[in-house]
Amino acid sequence: MSAAARSVLLGGLGIGLFLALWETIGLFKLAGISWPPLSAVLEMLTDGSRLPLFQRALAATLEETALGYLWGTGAGIALAALAHLVPLLRRGSDRLAAVLNSVPSIALGPIFLVLLNRESTPAAVSSIHVFFIVFVSVSSGLQRATAAHRDLFAVLGADRFKRFRRLELPAALPALVSGLRLAWPAALIGAIIGEWFGAPRGIGILIINAMQNFQIVLLWCAVLLAVASSLLIYGLLTLLERTAYARFG
Amino acid sequence: MLMSVSEAIVVSKVSKRFALAGSGEGVLALSELSLSIGAGEFVAILGPSGCGKSTLLRLVAALEQPTGGTVTVRGEPPGKVSANHALGVAFQDHALLPWLSIHDNIALPFKIAGRRADEAAIARLIELVGLSRFTRARPKQLSGGMRQRASIARALVLEPEVLLLDEPFGALDAVTRRQMNVELQRIWSARQITTMLITHSVDEALFLADRVVVMSGRPGRILREVDVPFERPRDPAVTRSERFHRMVDDLTAALETEEAPL
Repeated sequence: MSAAARSVLLGGLGIGLFLALWETIGLFKLAGISWPPLSAVLEMLTDGSRLPLFQRALAATLEETALGYLWGTGAGIALAALAHLVPLLRRGSDRLAAVLNSVPSIALGPIFLVLLNRESTPAAVSSIHVFFIVFVSVSSGLQRATAAHRDLFAVLGADRFKRFRRLELPAALPALVSGLRLAWPAALIGAIIGEWFGAPRGIGILIINAMQNFQIVLLWCAVLLAVASSLLIYGLLTLLERTAYARFG
Repeated sequence: MLMSVSEAIVVSKVSKRFALAGSGEGVLALSELSLSIGAGEFVAILGPSGCGKSTLLRLVAALEQPTGGTVTVRGEPPGKVSANHALGVAFQDHALLPWLSIHDNIALPFKIAGRRADEAAIARLIELVGLSRFTRARPKQLSGGMRQRASIARALVLEPEVLLLDEPFGALDAVTRRQMNVELQRIWSARQITTMLITHSVDEALFLADRVVVMSGRPGRILREVDVPFERPRDPAVTRSERFHRMVDDLTAALETEEAPL
């Protein structure tokens, strides 16, 4: 058996075991009534009458996440590139990013609520999460060009912009894609937290409502949706990352 | 010594001191070294490792600044020459960009110079270095020798005023290295660009150069200069001649006496 097939098989076995354990604990109420069996959660998720509710919530959350992801990525790349090209800005931008990251998003939520509105808060919180991850990965990626390549560009008479475009940026792509992969789950968390500040709909709202009304199975449905959508896109980004490393690494 | 009307590279009483942690005075890599290379001349700098020969090349390439003395290339400071895209360079590390094809790597100097790529010139060079079948390949897919040929083609593509070669075949096995020497001799004979080759191989220096400069180490100084008498274009058979062997022995001895105390 090839190593790849083995790893897929072992992975599948692990997931299967995990799901079976979930079902068993829920079925025999080993963790009390707040741990429903997997089958009950799946039954509710696939229940036709609830489908529109889940669809609306997931669509809203994914839209906010995508928006925050795009804004955060754009801002992260732009600031990292600017700081790289203008050495004067380098230290300041590092500190700005560090400060932004050290503010808990739960504290940022109310500020965005006041500055923007309740519809835009999820995407805004999400974009802050993404911004930091992308900024850090692109900043370090831009340093990744080898000394030999830098020497070559210097001898060929490249100015810093040509060096940036033809050497440093392509060399930074694998790091950027790694950052993008890590940023997606963070973006989703940001959007869900942002929804708690009064968004009209979304997975975060579903979680809050289910929690407050003690709808245990519904709560687990919402969490499962969030995890599944996060993992799916994380997996796709991992594939993209592999391609980037093969080509630019 | 081959006298040329115009000197292409003039190194005049150049010293280079590198700062070293824990040592106040640092390391003196070169001490008042003077050397001139005529236009169209091929000079090999031969020396033991650590003798400062690469530092000398880096000064001519404007990758380092001298602590004392001056370096000029065609009467101008090296930084100005490189900014005019008039230097060609190949290092021991081929330094091809892994994400570009062989063709695009060789076309890179045009992009950096902001000129339109001269496709005919690129094709001729690819042909000259024998990579016509591999224009679309990526560096990773080629052998070490092929990568070095691509990096030499890249160094030549802008028709530079000065070609700087820093042990370009240093990482290759002996057989490939010999083949590469034969090819470089052929390529160079077609263009006769002023060339400075850094090497620690006596054979390579004698086969390729018009003049061999032997350096001593710590601090780097010039120990000897030898004019190479063989006619161009040189046939590989020249390396089997009595005279070639005598010169190899002679220069090897000069290097060994120098290396002994280290």
